[in-house]
Amino acid sequence: MTPVRRLLTYLNPPSRSAYFFVAPSILLLLAFNLTPLIASFGLSLSSASMTLDRISFVGLEQFVRILSDARFLNSLKVTAILTLLEVPLQAFGAMVIGAMVANNSFWNKTLRAVYFLPIICSATVIGIMWRMILHSNVGFVTYALSLMGLGKINFLNSAQTTIFVVSFLSLWRSFGVSAIIYVTAVQQVNPSLYEAAQLDGAGRIRQFLNVTAPSIRPTFWFILMTRFAGSLQIFDIIYVTTGGGPNFTTESTVAYVYARAFASGGDMGYASAMSMVLFAFIMLVTVLLYRRMIRED
Amino acid sequence: MDRQKKQPLWAAIPAQALLIVLAALVLLPLLWLVLSAFKPEKEIVSWPPTFWFRTFTLEHFATVDKRIDITRYLLNSVIFACGTTSLAVVVNSLAGYAYARMQFKGKNFLFLLTLATMMIPFQVIMVPSFLVVYKMGLYNTYLGLILPRVAVAASIFMMRAAFSGIPKELEDAARIDGLHEFGIFTRIMLPQVKSTLICMVVLSINGSWNDLLWPMLVATDTKMRTLANGLALFVGQHTIQYGAAFAGALISILPMLLLYLFGQRYFVEGMVGSGLKA
Repeated sequence: MTPVRRLLTYLNPPSRSAYFFVAPSILLLLAFNLTPLIASFGLSLSSASMTLDRISFVGLEQFVRILSDARFLNSLKVTAILTLLEVPLQAFGAMVIGAMVANNSFWNKTLRAVYFLPIICSATVIGIMWRMILHSNVGFVTYALSLMGLGKINFLNSAQTTIFVVSFLSLWRSFGVSAIIYVTAVQQVNPSLYEAAQLDGAGRIRQFLNVTAPSIRPTFWFILMTRFAGSLQIFDIIYVTTGGGPNFTTESTVAYVYARAFASGGDMGYASAMSMVLFAFIMLVTVLLYRRMIRED
Repeated sequence: MDRQKKQPLWAAIPAQALLIVLAALVLLPLLWLVLSAFKPEKEIVSWPPTFWFRTFTLEHFATVDKRIDITRYLLNSVIFACGTTSLAVVVNSLAGYAYARMQFKGKNFLFLLTLATMMIPFQVIMVPSFLVVYKMGLYNTYLGLILPRVAVAASIFMMRAAFSGIPKELEDAARIDGLHEFGIFTRIMLPQVKSTLICMVVLSINGSWNDLLWPMLVATDTKMRTLANGLALFVGQHTIQYGAAFAGALISILPMLLLYLFGQRYFVEGMVGSGLKA
């Protein structure tokens, strides 16, 4: 077959229109996802100003610089702490709660609808709301503490508490989604397994440990994977509550990237090198947990 | 189910108490935010704090637009959410359909390429994403805000799964009737996946409405800000004007609350569907 004729057979009507069907999505993904990813690698090897008026190749110099940047290393530490505070609670806590509200009674459906509600809040709303609730002079939590005879806690300005506040708010926002994903998994567990367990005299807790938990293991690894990846990218909750402070104690890596590239710097090469290091961590965790999840399935 | 009935009441109480405390942890802050938007500034910062308003006032809603350009932000949020969503519905369902039901050279490669973009975290590529939009001359334009958010691999995946479930006979019958490919898609296939489409619409509207980071990067001009980044900048600069901030927050939350009340099922299905099948 000549190349021209081969091309024509590819373009018989249904398959020709297939290209029109996929073209918009492919072009958009190329332009706004894949190009930036490739550009990221390139930028991390350069020194570049905010709008690329000045750009020069510097090799691995940015990576050398970030590794001796205490603020960057601190941001990795903050990100790791926030992740370790939030993700286990999310993966285990939401599993327990999801199992508790899995039956389709009216009451359970109501509870599920409530738990899911934070999804309609932007980080901005969460920030406005909780900054006032935790206000050290007139906040509700401060008031509750004073009723218990405890003193004021400067939740959003003290280095001891801010990191817990940030991880709590992050949990507050996405806990319901994780719980509802678990609910769907629990509802798919074979009911005869529960009947068998009941015949053996297993109570609710035994049933959860021996039937529910083992049956929904793939969901557990899935939640762990997505929440890990999400938590390593934590930014907006920080931006609207502490702004990374006090004294960088809540500045995550993405928050530092933002500061360096957009807020005060325009140091695009340096910011990209930091992004690449974070990307490596995210990929590592995702791949490890993904392989684990596939094995469970 | 009978395993619920077997449980004695005394055992259920601590468990139910925990569930209720968690529900209160979600509901009370939101309720308090709503109520506080109707309190005078003085009451908002009074000690002890009030939950229910002592004095009811609408002053913050009457004056909020003098302090925050709220009408403009609201308009921008509507344009961002509706623009992104309407384009996303077209682009992602077309692609999902082709991957589910059409045969063409390079299909597997293009589909894998699409799936691979799911692995790219946005925060990691935010610097070059800004640069791409800037270099295209789309900085501080609606197109710059909308276009990068249209194609979503998870949505394409979800649409592909929905289209795969439709029986082949339906398509064959339409083809015999002489419908062309696009006609089969719009008239026969799309109506079959209505509920998946609604899931996508609901999640896309909610996602763009609440998106903070992307507008912060490419819609920085006061005339281009959405509610999310406009309000965030306002409270960053004027922490003292709580009434205006609460009124703004309530205005920004209300449309999504309505969407949630009417389409809760689709929120849940969409969240679970786009996640679990991935």
